[in-house]
Amino acid sequence: MHRRSFVRLLAAATYARTSLAHASAAAATGGSAADAVQKTQDLPALRVVSKYAPVAKPGMPGPFPGRVVSVKSDKAVDTTTGKADEATVREMMAQGMRTLTRAATTADAWRRFFEPSDIVGIKVNCGGYPHCISAYEIVSEVVRQLTAVGVPVTQIYVYERFQNQMDECDYAAHLPSGVQTVAAERANRNVDNSGYDPATYLEADLFGEEDTRSNIMRLVSQRLTKIINIPNMKDHGATGVTGCLKNIAYGSFSNVARTHAGGKSHTYSVVGKLAAMEPLRSRTVLQIMDGLRGVWHGGPFARTTRYVFYPRQIMFATDPVAVDRLLLDIIETERRAHGAISIWDRSPASLKMNDTRARDADPNVNIIIREPGHVEYAATLGLGVYDIKKITLDQLTV
Amino acid sequence: MTGLALLALSVPCVLWPATVESRSALEAAGIKQICVAPDRADSWRAAGFTVTPVTDAELAARERLSAPGTTPRPGVASPTRAPWIDANGWRFTRHPGSKYVYDLPAGKAPLAAAEAFAYGADAVLKFDVTDAPDVARLGQMLAFLAALPPLDLPAVADLAVVDDGSAVTGEVMNLLARRNLLFQVVQAPSARFPINVRIGTPEYPRTEAADPSAFAQKIRRQLTDDRRALRVYGSEVVLGRLTADAGRARLHLINYGGREIEGLRIRLRGRYADGEVHVAGAGRLALEDRVVTDDATEFTIPRISTYAVVDLRTAR
Repeated sequence: MHRRSFVRLLAAATYARTSLAHASAAAATGGSAADAVQKTQDLPALRVVSKYAPVAKPGMPGPFPGRVVSVKSDKAVDTTTGKADEATVREMMAQGMRTLTRAATTADAWRRFFEPSDIVGIKVNCGGYPHCISAYEIVSEVVRQLTAVGVPVTQIYVYERFQNQMDECDYAAHLPSGVQTVAAERANRNVDNSGYDPATYLEADLFGEEDTRSNIMRLVSQRLTKIINIPNMKDHGATGVTGCLKNIAYGSFSNVARTHAGGKSHTYSVVGKLAAMEPLRSRTVLQIMDGLRGVWHGGPFARTTRYVFYPRQIMFATDPVAVDRLLLDIIETERRAHGAISIWDRSPASLKMNDTRARDADPNVNIIIREPGHVEYAATLGLGVYDIKKITLDQLTV
Repeated sequence: MTGLALLALSVPCVLWPATVESRSALEAAGIKQICVAPDRADSWRAAGFTVTPVTDAELAARERLSAPGTTPRPGVASPTRAPWIDANGWRFTRHPGSKYVYDLPAGKAPLAAAEAFAYGADAVLKFDVTDAPDVARLGQMLAFLAALPPLDLPAVADLAVVDDGSAVTGEVMNLLARRNLLFQVVQAPSARFPINVRIGTPEYPRTEAADPSAFAQKIRRQLTDDRRALRVYGSEVVLGRLTADAGRARLHLINYGGREIEGLRIRLRGRYADGEVHVAGAGRLALEDRVVTDDATEFTIPRISTYAVVDLRTAR
C-alpha cells in the first residue's frame, strides 16, 4: 500500500484548473465567471413539508465534514473486459473505511456507523446499466460488513426508484438470500405513487406542472434508520455530474424529472434541497462513491461503452458535497482529455434542446444547460464543504 | 362557489346499429339500455331492452366529440411530464343542455361513458359494436355507473369565464379544465367569483388568449394554488369535476392516461369528514392517509384505472 495524506497542494491545483474552466465557459458565452452558475434570483420557491426533525448530528455532512478518502487500484477493474476484481475491491473497501474512521479494524470502522438494530438502506444507482452501475462487488461487500456488525440480512434494503432498473441490475443474484431489493415504482411512468410518503414532500411549481410535489419514498421515511449512498462517477445532462447528492436526492423522491425541461434545469437548487430534507439528511450516514467505472458524457446512462472510463477508485466520506466537489474535477478532466466542452458550458451554441440523439453522438452537445453549481449550492444548505482548500483528501493505493 | 346548474347524472346511451338478433352480445355485457333506429325500437323493446329511438338526422345534429385520452404530440407535449389530453368536460360545462355524440375508436368507450356521466351530459356512444371485448368493457363501466349512489350536487367553481361564444374562449376553457382550474361559464361578470375571465379586456387581451396554455397558467397564478378547490397530485392525466353543497361533496375523477394509477393524492379546499371512493373496476374503497387542516382536506385514492367517484361529508 502506498499512501499520500492530506494532498491539499494537489487539491488546490485542481481548484485552479476548475476555476479556469468556469471562466473559460463563461467567456464562451460572453459573460463573467459568475455567469457559469444559475443566478440566485432565478431560483424557484421551494416549500419543504416534513414532520421529521433532524437528529443531533445529521448523517450529512456527518462526523467527517470536508474529509474524503480515495482508494485506487490498477487491479480493481480489467479495463479490457470491464470486469471488477472482487478481492481487490474488498481490500479497497477495508482500507478506505479504516482510514476514514481511523479505526483499528475494519469491523470497528463499520461499527462506527451501524448497530445490529439498524434497518439499513443501500441506495444504489442503476441508471447506467449495463456499463456503469453501483458495482456488485461493492454492494455485496457492504452487505457482508453490515452482517458482520450484526445487522440481520432481512434488515438490509437495496433500493432504487424504478423496479425495471432493479430487475435489469438484479442485485439479488449477488447478495445473500434475505436481503431485500426494493423500488418505489414499476418504471418511470408517473403512475405509481403508493411507494411514496404523502406527508413528506418538497412542493414547487417549476414549469407550470400540475403535480407540484416530490414525495420521499416510504421506505426512507417509515422504515430505514440508516442509509448508505453508493453513486457512480458519472456525467449528467442536467446537473453536470451525478454524484452523492444527485443519487440520494433524486433517487429517494418522486416526480423529480420535472425539474429540467426546455433546456432549463432547476437542479441547481432542488438537488440540495431534497438531500437536505429530513429524515433523508439525518439517516444518510455514509457515502461510498463507486469510481471503479465512470461515464464522462451522455450520463446518467451508459448503454454503450463509448463514454465509459475507468477511474478505478472508490471514495469514502460522510460529506456528500466534498465528494461531489472532487467529482466535478474528475469528470471535467476526463471530458477535457477527450476534447469535449466543459460541464460548466452554458453557451447556446452547444445546446440542442431535448435532442438526446445528438447528445449521444457528440460530446460537444448539451440537451439542457447543466447546473454543476448544485454542489456548491448544497454546501450553503449545510450539507458539506465545497471549498476545495478546506477539503482533506487522503489518497491510498492498493 | 357552486354553480347554479344541477346536472342530472345519467348513463350515456349506446348506439346499437344491429338488429335484435345481435342481442346476445349485449346480454353478455349486461347492457340493457340502448339507442336504436326508430324502425327497430319495437323489436328491441319486445326483447326486454330499454330503448331510445334515435334517427340519423338527430345523430347528425348532435355535437361530435373527440375521443377522450392522451395523444402523442412530439415537441409540444411530453408523454410522462405534460401529456396532451383530449377531454370534453369543458364542452359539457360550456353547453350543459346540448346533445352530443362520440364516434369512438377501439378501447375508448368506457372512458367516454365515464366522462359523459361525470358531467351529466346527454351523450350517445357510437363505436364498433362487433368488437366483443370492447362491448364487454363498456358493459362493466355502465354497470358501475348505474350502481353508483345517486347524488346530484351543484358544480364547484373557482372562477368564472364570460362566454363570448368564440373559439378562442373555448380553447381557454379547454386548457383551464386541463389544469383542473374549475370554472363556471357566465354571460356577464359575476361578483360571486374572485376572478372573471373576459377575453378581450385589458386584463385578458385576446393576444394572450391566443396561447391558451400560457393563458390558463396566468389565471392559475392569479388564483394561486392554495385557493384552488381541487388539486391532484401523482398524475398529470387525471381531470376532476367537483360538486358540493353545504353538507356533502362528490368528486368525479377521470383518468385519461390509459394506465392504472396507484396512490393518487387529492387536496380539496374545505374540511371534510371521512368518505369513500367508488373505483371503476375495483369497487368501494376506503380513502387513505386522510389529513384535515384548517382550510383543506387531503386523502389518497388507492388506485384508479379509468374513473372514480369520491363521496364526502362536510366536517362538523
